[in-house]
Amino acid sequence: MTEFKPTILAFCCNWCSYAGADLAGVSRLQMPPNVHVVRVMCSASVKPEYVMKAISQGIDGVLVLGCHVGDCHYMTGNHRTAKRMPVVQKILKDIGLNEKRVRLDWVSAAEGEKFQKVIVDFVDEVAKLGPNPLKEVRF
Amino acid sequence: MREEHGNVGPVMISKGEDPGDVRTDVPYQLITILSNLYPWMTDGKKIAVVTRKCDEKALAEFFKRGYFARDRVIQIGLACNREQIRQCRCSDPVPSVVDIGEPHGGLDTDALSEKLMAMSSEERLRFWEYQFRKCNKCFACTTNCPVCFCDECVLEERTFVPERGVPPGMSFHMIRAYHLSDKCIECGECERSCPAGIPLLTLRKLVARDFKEMYGFSPGDEKTVSPLLTTLEGESLDGDECDEC
Amino acid sequence: MEMNAMNVKHVLTTCPYCGTGCNFYLQVVEDKLISVVPCKTDEISRGQLCIKGYNAHAFVQHPDRLKTPLAREHGELRQISWEDALDRLAKEIRRIKEKYGPDSIAFLASAKCTNEENYLFQKLARAVVHTNNVDHCARLCHASTVTGLLYSFGSGAMTNTIPEFGDADFILITGSNTLEAHPIIGSHMLRALDKGAKIVVVDPRDTPLSRLAHIRLSQKPGSDIAWINGMIKVIIDEGLVNEEFVRTRTSEFDKLKEVVMGYTLEMVESIAGVKGKDLSKAARLYAKADRAMVAYAMGVTQHSNGTDIVMALANLAMVTGHLGKESTGLNPLRGQCNVQGSCDSGGLPNLFPGYQRVDDEQVRAKFEQAWGVELPEKPGLTLTCAIKEAALGKLKAMIVFGENVMLSDPDLTHVEEALKELELLAVVDIFPTETTKLAHIVLPAACYAEKDGTFTNTDRAVRLLRKAVDPPGEAMPDWKIACELAKRLGAKGFDFSSPAEIMDEMAKVTPIYGGIDHGRIDRELIRWPCPTKEHKGTRILHAQKFTKGLGTFAPVHHSPPAESPSEEYPFILTTGRNLFQYHTGTMTRRSPKLEREAPEPYAEVNNGDAKRLGISEGDRIMVSSKRGSITLLARVTERIIPGSVFIPFHYAEAAANRLTNAALDPVSKIPELKVCAARIQKG
Repeated sequence: MTEFKPTILAFCCNWCSYAGADLAGVSRLQMPPNVHVVRVMCSASVKPEYVMKAISQGIDGVLVLGCHVGDCHYMTGNHRTAKRMPVVQKILKDIGLNEKRVRLDWVSAAEGEKFQKVIVDFVDEVAKLGPNPLKEVRF
Repeated sequence: MREEHGNVGPVMISKGEDPGDVRTDVPYQLITILSNLYPWMTDGKKIAVVTRKCDEKALAEFFKRGYFARDRVIQIGLACNREQIRQCRCSDPVPSVVDIGEPHGGLDTDALSEKLMAMSSEERLRFWEYQFRKCNKCFACTTNCPVCFCDECVLEERTFVPERGVPPGMSFHMIRAYHLSDKCIECGECERSCPAGIPLLTLRKLVARDFKEMYGFSPGDEKTVSPLLTTLEGESLDGDECDEC
Repeated sequence: MEMNAMNVKHVLTTCPYCGTGCNFYLQVVEDKLISVVPCKTDEISRGQLCIKGYNAHAFVQHPDRLKTPLAREHGELRQISWEDALDRLAKEIRRIKEKYGPDSIAFLASAKCTNEENYLFQKLARAVVHTNNVDHCARLCHASTVTGLLYSFGSGAMTNTIPEFGDADFILITGSNTLEAHPIIGSHMLRALDKGAKIVVVDPRDTPLSRLAHIRLSQKPGSDIAWINGMIKVIIDEGLVNEEFVRTRTSEFDKLKEVVMGYTLEMVESIAGVKGKDLSKAARLYAKADRAMVAYAMGVTQHSNGTDIVMALANLAMVTGHLGKESTGLNPLRGQCNVQGSCDSGGLPNLFPGYQRVDDEQVRAKFEQAWGVELPEKPGLTLTCAIKEAALGKLKAMIVFGENVMLSDPDLTHVEEALKELELLAVVDIFPTETTKLAHIVLPAACYAEKDGTFTNTDRAVRLLRKAVDPPGEAMPDWKIACELAKRLGAKGFDFSSPAEIMDEMAKVTPIYGGIDHGRIDRELIRWPCPTKEHKGTRILHAQKFTKGLGTFAPVHHSPPAESPSEEYPFILTTGRNLFQYHTGTMTRRSPKLEREAPEPYAEVNNGDAKRLGISEGDRIMVSSKRGSITLLARVTERIIPGSVFIPFHYAEAAANRLTNAALDPVSKIPELKVCAARIQKG
């Protein structure tokens, strides 16, 4: 049996997390494949709708990365994100999906290593969950 | 509501007019009907509406956002009877002021909610998958919802809900569940008006329970601000609602 | 009432879209329609509507509405007065009648008009112009149901009622995309499904309902009799025939037996492509069920052997005895708000109101006495034949009440040529349409929200329309237009002051409506037959005996469609509706929320075929048949069987009926809109 390689979508905010990803890249840190990074201006511009759409289309896991609380380029953008994503996770649970398929974390521009760690951890965790059951569901 | 033509339907009675055979036992969603009429009300006019507890909560959501002026809507409190409470699986049926009816307590538990949460997640997913497969995209759940008041509905945005596609799939219902998480007052109108018989009220109840556990917040109170609109410290965020909807 | 109080009304009325006949409230503020509120206590809709119902107010006050009469002068339509328009029309009708005889004139009644109006249209044709040339769009949808079921049962309508679907324990649906075309009937089926009923869908297309079905059979378009006969053979072979029912209630079973015995599972599979195992499983489920209903629609009727297919389904129901009881029966789902009613009220060339034959001397004598004139005995032209006669120059005038033949009829190029041959084409409608573009005189009509009257829905319930707002400009209800025109043609018996009076006259001459009047149906839901004022109406037909006495088995054989795929045209084109648009789109395309959902014409192509032809999702493709070609977007899907292509017929910019075949069923004259040979090209 071939090992399951999950497809992951990672939304990274422009000011911190994307810069963190950049640093990880420049530092030549090993990164798992199948992670698609989407650069957004702020984690708050990741509408929950995008996350839920991705999950219902069969993406195995969605990672939302923003600046640490207090460091948001837009002052309180990541406060919004911090309030919203847990609701998304609960809805996944209520529908019958594992809430661990969505994760929110904070990565600053200086945290290249943390970026790598967050990604690797998340990929491992989603791999353990197995494929998104919605991938096989056609409406 | 009034009985006419062998049916019971909503009716607007002007001052001095004979109200006729008025009925309060058919669950019309009068706040939705009022929200259609409100923009047409001429200056200074007031309107009275029969309000159950859920309607009272819905009005609070309107007042909170400044969509209705508080002094223009007069509430006639209706306490639902036991049968109505049972049908709506209502946990909170007594309005703050009872003008009509005898107050009766609500139900503590919702059987289907309990059953669903006792299932394995695979079973639960299969359950909802079957339910959502019946969806015919009639938008009854949004059209009849008293607290669906965005000017532009995200469910009509192609990015999130492509045109045509029937049934519209999982994301339609997840997105709607999210949007109602800090507004839904559990009147059950979505479920009653769903031609596919999807237990939408149960989904609302599940999300409401989580929301309350996380943030200690339940919609329907004019004084509290939705946690989705405050900072982590609870301070109010600037900007209007539609930043997030 | 206090001065200046807000003028708010909630007017209970009947939906103008499909034949389900849902009631709802139109919310009216100061003569503006602002919204639709479902009616919670209505037995049929139970406070639920589909997306079209919720948007049924949207087109009514659209700026495009026709507001004044128009007449063609020097090639252009110009505004004229009502007096002038009606005088001109009457004069032209007189002239043509004198010059070419009454049968050179045809009237098209309308399934979008009320019973009262259709009654007047046919009275106008028969009693005033003296022709039986009156027909309407039922010719294009359920004409074969009327002829087929009249032969088998004696009554061409749904045998049972809509709410009964909810209590069935087995439902067979064929040729009906119920959830999209009749969503609220579909909702009753879903209620049964939730309660554990078994659902079988037989359809070449994958539909929202077929995805929920327990057994789904995809037959090749045009092979219906093969699988139906195959199913009957399984039922006979396995001893599941309801012997008592067959013995006491039917005749000619032996003839049927002889015919179906040839339809072995292998043969059915080779003709219809349906797996024998699944077919026999479905047959067993159906025969053994307690409360088994069959529902069908256009997929059965719109074939050049449509009448035969309907009779084959009737055979199936009679073999098992699933008739005449709660939650059983054979149920044609009729597609327009009043297509049942316009048939009932005599908008057919061979039948007076209430399905009484024009060539029956006694019946004619009754109507001659009632109307005080002599009536023609020769059955008139059907809509489809009228078009053919017009092209040959034999038919000179057509008066069209609320139909858009230039989009709904098969082989539009031919229709256009035919209509251009006419000396007089008068169209009464609510919006400018593809047909008004060719008209000599156009009269503005009131729509459903602007008049009183009745619609008869698909389960024979006669439902009231109640006026909510005034018509725009000078527009008038069709019944007034018909009365005015009749008076100008010198006729008596058109002095009606309200639709209720018209219904009273109609009830007198129409036994099945005998007990119906507006006062009664204002308060109760009555389904015909309702012969007397005391009668409660009839929910289930054929309960003790069939309308004609014994039910008749019709031995029918499979025959291929009129046009088979060839090397040049290798695909089978089938046409239909989608959820969001309605027929020729006159109303829905002016409703923003509906138009948003389905704004563009498209063709569904099987993904395997698409790959072979190098077509991907969203590509522009050209679909052609022998009769024409249209360009539209491709929707690539696994949800249609290989070798087929589906196009909805709503869109004037890529009208599917440019391609369809006008081959007619010999009995009912319904065209084969469901099958023709086509070719697909990229670009």
